[in-house]
Amino acid sequence: MRRWGYRHVITPMVESTEVLERGIGADQRRRLFKFADARGEVVAVVGERTVPVARLVAGKLRGSPLPLRLCYAGPVLSTDDGRFHQRRETYQVGAELVGAPGTVADAEVIALAARCLQASGVQRYQVDVGHAEFFHGIMDAVKLPEEVKAAVRVALAARDFVALETLLEKTPLRSAEHELLLRFPALRGGSEILQAAGGLVRNRRSERALAELAEVQELLVAHGLGEVVSLDLGAIRDFDYYTGIIFEGYGPDVGRPVAQGGRYDGLLARFGRPAPATGFVVQLDLVWEMLTRAARPPALPRIDAAVAWSGSGLKTALRLGSTLRLFGMRAVVDTQARDHAESKTWWRTVGAVNLIHCRNESTVAWTVRGKRTRRLPPEQVAGRLAGGLA
Amino acid sequence: MTARKASARGKVSIAVPTGALMPGALRLLARAGVARLSGEELGRQLLVDRAGVRVILVRPADVPAYVDHGAADLGIVGKDILWETPGAHYELVDLKFGHCQLVLAVPLASKLNGAETWPPQLRVATKYPRTASAWFESRGQAVEVVQLHGSVELAPQVGLVDAIVDLTATGRTLRENGLRVTATLGASTARLIANQASLKTRTDAVQAAVGRLREAVGL
Repeated sequence: MRRWGYRHVITPMVESTEVLERGIGADQRRRLFKFADARGEVVAVVGERTVPVARLVAGKLRGSPLPLRLCYAGPVLSTDDGRFHQRRETYQVGAELVGAPGTVADAEVIALAARCLQASGVQRYQVDVGHAEFFHGIMDAVKLPEEVKAAVRVALAARDFVALETLLEKTPLRSAEHELLLRFPALRGGSEILQAAGGLVRNRRSERALAELAEVQELLVAHGLGEVVSLDLGAIRDFDYYTGIIFEGYGPDVGRPVAQGGRYDGLLARFGRPAPATGFVVQLDLVWEMLTRAARPPALPRIDAAVAWSGSGLKTALRLGSTLRLFGMRAVVDTQARDHAESKTWWRTVGAVNLIHCRNESTVAWTVRGKRTRRLPPEQVAGRLAGGLA
Repeated sequence: MTARKASARGKVSIAVPTGALMPGALRLLARAGVARLSGEELGRQLLVDRAGVRVILVRPADVPAYVDHGAADLGIVGKDILWETPGAHYELVDLKFGHCQLVLAVPLASKLNGAETWPPQLRVATKYPRTASAWFESRGQAVEVVQLHGSVELAPQVGLVDAIVDLTATGRTLRENGLRVTATLGASTARLIANQASLKTRTDAVQAAVGRLREAVGL
């Protein structure tokens, strides 16, 4: 994210509930871990970090010109398992682009999210892009009594399409919007979906949403992500919060999205600095789950050199360790003296590629995994290791 | 680890419940041309692979868990279970079998009837604590819910509770135990549920199976 010019911010772990509740829905509010501080004020551990970042932008960073590109990482807590039966404590990495309207900003954030998944080492991933306004337009245009519309929203939020069908069957008025709502879970695919939906909708809001989706898709192709991006007009998200392009990232064999995001132009105004904004969050726990299930799970970072010592070799060992680190290698220097035979056992527990045993200032014993030991001056060992790196 | 998941082999996996819904579910899978297998075979193996599809047999209350976590792409499950365990799945089709009702029943001799006859605090035994609590709460009735795992009909007869909330298809078990229905909380049928990510990441295969099941139900 640094390469995309996003600055790392650290927001508080604990916030006053009054602040958090300004930004989040009733459902999330219920799931906050709340407690009282010494003065009796009710505070909570953050359940997500978009709201704290919004407060930061409207508060401490009030003087910074927009757009701001910010990113964060940290644990969040939620009291019950909610929809996903997940752990109470999860680790989230996210980014927010505040102050930039338009599809170029939308595409940037989606591309960054996709590149984050890629950088994490996930083998196959896909990003589904949708639009909150497409749904709002349909709900405006669909000919239904208000109370039925409310029930339709509830059914969709619960992903209950049986209830939705029953509701829509009861109404005599049939429209293209009816058809779209019923086919919601199947409105997924490539640009052909936009044309199919475009032929059905007859309202400005949905049409504008489809046009924006077409733009974003084109921009993502230019970002080099045409292969992994699909369009999903039936994405169901918190439609009160999101105001534009929304997206979800999926990986192999994990039953829920590993990344989620979208445009939320309404949030910053609640903290007194109205601004368009879009962002995303990656669920690191789920990424870890995918990586460990992969055919070749990731290994811990390799340690380049284990530097052992005995007799008067400690100073040589310390000097050699510093030199190797200067060249960007990972080097561990032993904390106690060991003879050469003992140092080989220690070497195995460290798991390093090279063992360098220092007995005095002039010569060290250098062993590369699987090869025989050579005796050389320390400068030459450092030189050869650095040369091998280059 | 080998490929434990059906998805790794390009198969669509379907969780089928044991018990009352199993025969209907297997008939439906056969009629839809998804998989032809006998209850005996599935009961013996619990996991049966057929061309393009894997069928797994799990306890009714476990179907949502298998689907929500992506261990099964699709699941066949009673609506009564879904009331009790809401999750992240999509509920796609009313499969129109396994009709039954969730009812409030009291002993024949009980004075309890409509809501006006309920005492300030009602004691109710049920296998559906979440659904029962929510229903009474929405009616402003204080209730003490006793969660049981079987033979709920027995509870009022031995004075454990005033009433029960239980599932009934014909009302026979209730009658045999000297109980009568005073209210209906909801009507249940078998439903087809789908994992959220399966619908998104393997759209074609999963939607094709959903389409065939939908047709077999006559939608």
